[in-house]
Amino acid sequence: MPLFDSEFLKKLEYLSLVSRRVFRGSLLAQRRTMQLGGGLEFADHREYTPGDDFRYLDWNVYARHDELLLKRFQEEEDLHVYIFLDVSRSMAFGTPPKFDFARQVGAALAYIALADLDRVAIVAFAGDIVADFPLTRGKARILSLLKFLENLPAEGSVTDLARVATGFVHRSQRRGLAVVISDLYDPAGFQRGIDILRHHRYEPHVVQIYDRKEAEPDLRGDVELYDVETGTLRKVTVTERNLRQYRELFGRFQESIQQYCNTYGIGCTRTSTEIPFDELILKMMRVAGAVQ
Amino acid sequence: MNFAHASALAWAALVIPIIIFYILKIRLRRVPVSTTLFWQQIFDEKKPRSLWEMLRHLLSLLVQIAILALLVLALGEPFFKWEVLEAKRLVLVVDNSASMNANDVLPSRLAQAKEEGKRIISGLRFRDEMAIIAAGTEPQVFCGLTGHQRTLLKALDEIPATDGPTRVNEAIELARRLLVTQKNRKVIVLSDGGFDNAETLAKAEDVQMVPVGKRTGNVGITRLQARRSLIDPVGYEILAEVVNASDDPVECRLEIDLNGEVVDVVPLKLAPGAAHHQVFEKTSTAGGRVLARLNRADALPADNQAWAILPRREIRPVTLVTKGNLFLEKVFEANAGVKLSVSRTPLKSAPPAGTLTVFHRDVPEKLPNGPVLVIQPSQSTDLWEIGETLQNPIVTQQDKDSPLMAHVRLDNVLMPEAKKLKPKGQPKILASAVSGDPLYLAFDRPEGKVLVLTVDLDKGDLPLQTAFPIMAANALGWFAGTKGELRESTATGSVVEWELPPNSTASYTLHSPSGRPAALPVRSARATIGPLDQCGIWTIDHGTAQVDAKPEFELACNLANRQESDLRPPQDWAPNSNVLQAGFGGRPLWYLLIIAAWALVGMEWYLYQRRWIS
Repeated sequence: MPLFDSEFLKKLEYLSLVSRRVFRGSLLAQRRTMQLGGGLEFADHREYTPGDDFRYLDWNVYARHDELLLKRFQEEEDLHVYIFLDVSRSMAFGTPPKFDFARQVGAALAYIALADLDRVAIVAFAGDIVADFPLTRGKARILSLLKFLENLPAEGSVTDLARVATGFVHRSQRRGLAVVISDLYDPAGFQRGIDILRHHRYEPHVVQIYDRKEAEPDLRGDVELYDVETGTLRKVTVTERNLRQYRELFGRFQESIQQYCNTYGIGCTRTSTEIPFDELILKMMRVAGAVQ
Repeated sequence: MNFAHASALAWAALVIPIIIFYILKIRLRRVPVSTTLFWQQIFDEKKPRSLWEMLRHLLSLLVQIAILALLVLALGEPFFKWEVLEAKRLVLVVDNSASMNANDVLPSRLAQAKEEGKRIISGLRFRDEMAIIAAGTEPQVFCGLTGHQRTLLKALDEIPATDGPTRVNEAIELARRLLVTQKNRKVIVLSDGGFDNAETLAKAEDVQMVPVGKRTGNVGITRLQARRSLIDPVGYEILAEVVNASDDPVECRLEIDLNGEVVDVVPLKLAPGAAHHQVFEKTSTAGGRVLARLNRADALPADNQAWAILPRREIRPVTLVTKGNLFLEKVFEANAGVKLSVSRTPLKSAPPAGTLTVFHRDVPEKLPNGPVLVIQPSQSTDLWEIGETLQNPIVTQQDKDSPLMAHVRLDNVLMPEAKKLKPKGQPKILASAVSGDPLYLAFDRPEGKVLVLTVDLDKGDLPLQTAFPIMAANALGWFAGTKGELRESTATGSVVEWELPPNSTASYTLHSPSGRPAALPVRSARATIGPLDQCGIWTIDHGTAQVDAKPEFELACNLANRQESDLRPPQDWAPNSNVLQAGFGGRPLWYLLIIAAWALVGMEWYLYQRRWIS
């Protein structure tokens, strides 16, 4: 069964329509970026420094207060959406595989963005950037984007988000929304990679995907654990107590993701593969709408 | 240590697959996980305990090997030499006589004895063996020598309560015969001590007495007999004896019924150990069941009532063929059990069945069928040839043992004349003259009994003597075929022989007082009943299901045993009951090994659960 069939495309179209109704033109291409520039809408003042364009001096303020202040405007431009898709081996885990779910979510977000005349790029990563789908614009490009996603294998090495982010931010490109779709099982911690994006004025949004068996493993007794991502083996005896500890640690990990995102005002979506991807997108839109 | 089945040790080879499986188990099931980040945190924290975990696995292997070792040893059935050498051979003698039914210890002495027996059985060691003998009514082996405790307990439970006498002495003799070839033998007696020789047996080395019950007073009927009067045709006599087998004086009442109707009620005042005897003389032609009761409840109900059978007085039709003899007519008329008819002419037809025909002088050439009494025959018949007149015969020989001559003396009776008689066949001569001529003789022919008195009643003083009516009464009784008028009540434990009805080919069923039926073994013309082990009325019938069917025979059976009624142990009876040593619960070594193996299984289970759950 193909990953992106006609039914999937119908769902994407539906999600696109819903997104327009929900955000009434305030999303993606029609929304204002955090960039300041030559837009029409006033943002704030700043002090004049030599070399600034005189045309933006606020003469009214100068007349009243004898201060040279420069008017700043929000720049209106196309939103650049960078979708970071984790293709490490751990993403192939689960029933259905987390990777399939991640690709569907990524495709949906890309479709909505393209439908809103934004620019979309796909960055497949694991230990480093594995593959790129360059910035593209227009709904007509959706099929090639889907094909790109469909051909992506989840065979990457150990996730290293910091390295990926470092490599990404050094590219010469415009800032934009960086949607990271991953299970975030980064041995060095996912925070460092997100921090790098944040520091380089990207707007990160984290979509963490996990399988039910990761949250509630049904292991018991003497087993040999095989880490599909690292290929390491570990002989353990899993007791009920160990399972309780595991559930506690996993829960703490989930909380840490949410807490990190809350701290830095980063959009965060944590989901199990059990719910359909379209429901997840609707949920994300509802959250985004409520926030605005 | 030795092994009964050393070849079973070969099962120890199973240790090889256990070790192989243990090694195989080390190759654990591989489970893919998306990340081991969290597992690392968990198990890295627990590192200090990893040594214990490793040991726990090794310990599990050792426990499994130990379980196998214990099971293999158990299969080998190990034993110590001393077990064989010191194995006891015991016989448990359980007194189930009437006195053991006393309820001075609840529920009864027998139940207490059984409890003691169970305790002793549970104290048997492995390789000890025991047999069980019941010692009531008659010694009976309930279980042969065995060490199987369940069999012994079952046999002990099956010992029934009886009303029979104690047969402990015989049971001990039987037990000694059982153990004669055994070493370490002992006879254990569970009894209340109500038997002869109890004091001596209590001191015997090979006998272990375990006393049951406590010293209890009791009043009981120890004898009850009823019989027809030998003098009064309608009279009867009841003999009753009541014994006070207690240490205190007792007042009670003895009630006697005949077929449910009160015959007499006697208040009794009995001193300690005293006995009351009384003969009750009553009149009635009716027979039936006599029941004597004491109105006093005590520990032993079996002797508080007793039964007797009173035979019914039957009216016998008698036809007297005579030309006239007043004495002869009156001697029969005077008997209340006789219905007399007199014929002055010879009989033209045969008398009805059951009728006694009395010929005086004139006698037919061929005697009729049925019982016949001939007095002073005047002519020959098919049984004798008549001779001349015998002058002044003096009786010199008299058959004292015959019931026909009971209470009769003819040697001093004046008899001037008699007829000489030459009998055909072999009659029984009851009285004969000095010349050897028979004067009074009896024929037992298939058609009926014949009795002949050759004396001339018109001469001499025989009709005037008391011997005359007694002879008539004896003759009537002899013709009736009953052995006197007593149907003796028997004591429990007795064996009774019952004479079957003539020419009987039917099968018979014996019913105990409790209603338990049993086919009656019949040998020739007699059947043997007993030993009787229940008080009450035993009946014999044809085994039909008819409720109102009249039994063929009834037999009264009473405890009638002063020793059984006395619930007090003998004065010098000092049993030593403290030698019973409990072993290892009668369990063999292999059983203990199995228990140990089970304990280890529990330990392994714990380790397994700890691995999986804790």
